[in-house]
Amino acid sequence: MTGQLAQMQIGPDLLLLLPALSGVVTGVLALGAAMFDRPRWAFWTTVFGLLVAGALAIPLLGRQETVFLGTYRIDALSTWTALILLPATALVAALTRSEIHGSDREAAIYSLLAFTTTGALVLAGAGDLLFLVLGVLISSLGAFGLVAYRRDARGTEAAMKYFVFGSVSEAVMIFGLTFWFGAAGSTLLADLGGLNDSRPPALAGLVGVLVGLGYKAAITPFHFWAPDAYDGAPTSAAAYVSVVPKVGAIFGLAQSVRDLPDSVVDWRLLVALLAALSMTYGNLAALVQSNVVRLLAYSSIAQAGYFLLGVVAVGRTPLATQALIVFAAAYAAMNLGAFAIVLRVGRDLAAFSGYGRLAPVGGAWLVIFLLSLVGVPPLAGFFGKLLLFGAALDAGFGWLAVVAIVNSVLSLAVYLRWLVPCYQTPVSEHPVSSGGRVSAIAAALVVGLGLGVQLLLARIQ
Amino acid sequence: MPLLSLTVFVPLLGAVLLVLLRPSNARAAHRLGLAAACLSLLGAVGVGLRGVGPGFSQVEEIDWIPSLGSAYRVGVDGISLPLFLLTTVLFLVSLVFSTRVTDRTPAYVAFFLMLETTCLGAFVALDLVLFYVFFELTLVAMYFIIAGWGHEDRQRAALLFFLYTLLGSLPILLGIIALYLGADPHTFDMRQMVASPPLAGFAGALTFVAFLLGFGIKTPVFPLHTWLPAAHVEAPTAGSVVLAGVLLKLGTYGFVRFILQMTPEAFRAAAPWVATLASFSALYGAFVALAQTDLKRLVAYTSVNHMGYVVLAVAAAAATTEPRVRAVAIDGAVLQMVSHGVVTGALFLLVGALQDRAGTREMGAFGGLLRGMPLLGWAFIVAAFASLGLPGLAHFPAEFQIFLGTFGVWPLAAAITVIGILVTAGLYLRAIQITFLGEVGERWRALPDLGRADLWAVMPLLAMALMIGVAPGSLLNVIHRTASSLGP
Repeated sequence: MTGQLAQMQIGPDLLLLLPALSGVVTGVLALGAAMFDRPRWAFWTTVFGLLVAGALAIPLLGRQETVFLGTYRIDALSTWTALILLPATALVAALTRSEIHGSDREAAIYSLLAFTTTGALVLAGAGDLLFLVLGVLISSLGAFGLVAYRRDARGTEAAMKYFVFGSVSEAVMIFGLTFWFGAAGSTLLADLGGLNDSRPPALAGLVGVLVGLGYKAAITPFHFWAPDAYDGAPTSAAAYVSVVPKVGAIFGLAQSVRDLPDSVVDWRLLVALLAALSMTYGNLAALVQSNVVRLLAYSSIAQAGYFLLGVVAVGRTPLATQALIVFAAAYAAMNLGAFAIVLRVGRDLAAFSGYGRLAPVGGAWLVIFLLSLVGVPPLAGFFGKLLLFGAALDAGFGWLAVVAIVNSVLSLAVYLRWLVPCYQTPVSEHPVSSGGRVSAIAAALVVGLGLGVQLLLARIQ
Repeated sequence: MPLLSLTVFVPLLGAVLLVLLRPSNARAAHRLGLAAACLSLLGAVGVGLRGVGPGFSQVEEIDWIPSLGSAYRVGVDGISLPLFLLTTVLFLVSLVFSTRVTDRTPAYVAFFLMLETTCLGAFVALDLVLFYVFFELTLVAMYFIIAGWGHEDRQRAALLFFLYTLLGSLPILLGIIALYLGADPHTFDMRQMVASPPLAGFAGALTFVAFLLGFGIKTPVFPLHTWLPAAHVEAPTAGSVVLAGVLLKLGTYGFVRFILQMTPEAFRAAAPWVATLASFSALYGAFVALAQTDLKRLVAYTSVNHMGYVVLAVAAAAATTEPRVRAVAIDGAVLQMVSHGVVTGALFLLVGALQDRAGTREMGAFGGLLRGMPLLGWAFIVAAFASLGLPGLAHFPAEFQIFLGTFGVWPLAAAITVIGILVTAGLYLRAIQITFLGEVGERWRALPDLGRADLWAVMPLLAMALMIGVAPGSLLNVIHRTASSLGP
């Protein structure tokens, strides 16, 4: 052990961890500002710190190594998570400020955002069972606080559900992981190949991981908390929970199953079944919602199902990594954008009646976000889905790709239920706000990442 | 000069200008739209004058997503060039006819211009991703046109149209990905797919089925046609013209470009089945049209009939090993696409003009209209005769070659399908008799005849129908250049 420790090069390893560490530092600084009750400082520290942290990930592009004795991975998935989620969190911070500006405890929420995002980064870079657990815990604790921000009955109920569900799922996950540890004799994910002839523990560990990360990513059947939690949380917190922990968990899942031999347990099939279930259930349930936050909650369950197409193909085709990253970037932009519009207009579907006519710009942004969620080209969501479908086909999961396209049609019905009233004659001439800055940025990203998808692809090995 | 790309994107530029400038009066918006459509037509004529060689000509290429082997590639051949020209003509006349629209004009014109760019792009795209981008965006633009400016039940019709055709385009996406994965090295270059179809065996068969489903919905082929009557009936007149004239051609174009050229092996094996379906579809369209009393529905169902002939000819081309027979069948199929665009475009315009004046499209309500509005009446009669395949008008040379080509492969199928022509003749003669001949109803005496804008929209189409009918040679030469070089 001492020999191993001597091999560790703490200095260079820390340099490779700079994005995540900067996330922590940002959180601490924001917390400091909160202690002095300076929400403005906390806000700007957070935005600035997160953007700097994101920028620090740029030099890591193209590196493929592990730090701290293989327990943390610096690869395309973890680097791109930093590049996507850190700026996305900065956008969420801007949304949060516009929603809860001036309320007490405002400053604290920014540090929660920074800490939780760091947890998601740890998940996406996990190379070790302990990092996996750590990532889930860090990203959960902050998220509970975000959801519970409003101290009313609904907020409390939402946070309770989120918390209880989370504790149980995480316990199951840790329990499952002990089987992997016991059978493989190591906590390193890279050593999972050693599970060669021990099917029951391999399966037990897999189930644990699927429950724990499935809960984080809101994948059916571990999604039950999501609609209530989103609905009880502030809109910006719902936006956050629907994007950042979800992407972290999906990437963490890809990291943990990557080295698991699929000859021992057919994890690909199991993940594919979850994908099909999640897409179908999410879209069907979204079809009957009259509250757009709940609609987006179910839609994000369905989108998690699409994500899993990339996880299914991990290790079999280079398209899988590309698909996961491009779709994550697209999903972050379009989902945050849609929530930004909801924040301005309201949660009731009826509130959108005539919105597109009263606010043409905001309406156009909403059209862009929702069509991108469907996967209409040339928007970012389309290229994400193109790569996901390609990855699934290339990995031999043609049936899953067919399920996914049928679900895309279903999802069009979901989003059109929202869009159609937007262009009907307005009921009242009540003043509506336009899209706002966050949605404008998100819309630019959705279009830009679509037409300029090469910018991403060229930097993913 | 990248004439092809300029022609494709000039309408989009017009749309962007409309969105940015937001002209407050309707006339300015219409003028801007007409100018963009005119420029696009001129560009297309220029492309036509440059001509096509045996393969793809006038290719323009820029790197786009090199990591995936996808690029912005456009070019024309003998199959896409006629459709490209047809598209610019139909959009211009649609916009001319639409000059009466005063409700949210800038948005209306902008959606039409956007739709024009996407249609043009889909016909000339030589990259599968680029094709899909354009193909799918036609749905979005058309959805907004139907939902925004259609008739009473437009929301439902637009929704059905969007959902149904998305259900069609997603299998196409899967087929595209399968072709990409089958190509070595991976690429989305359509020229390579056409030159050496990458998929054989089971994968080829699955891809074929995906394309058949997708383009079959778009065309539409029975039993995938159910979206069409609703969309047509509720769409504004100019929307119907574009829907029937251009968007349906995307389906039949896909039959030639994708199914025939990219999955030839599977298509050959399944050709008799496709032909059976096509021939049934043609007859079904004709008989259902015969049962209609609403003029617009009637014209809409004849589209199912005419597109059935096209698919039949393409299936014959897939089945035969005789290059000459194949060339005749494809010549006929592509010429039929153009003829149908021109003639059905004119018919929809005339029915629209009639509805604007009378407020109804029910045949039974009319009678003797020829006396009160001779221009509209005679124009309808000429267009109807063209549609039923009278020699000397547009459909005749096309259908003649279609049946000639099909007869060489499946004499029985050709003989049975010909009945469709008899039925269409009957239904058009009945429609003319009920609507335009006989006693003039009291209500209709004071109706005004076609106005100037209407004439400017309809007459060019009728002139083209006559030209294609009398002298199809120059158009056939262009088509034949590609049709004669299609591989075995």
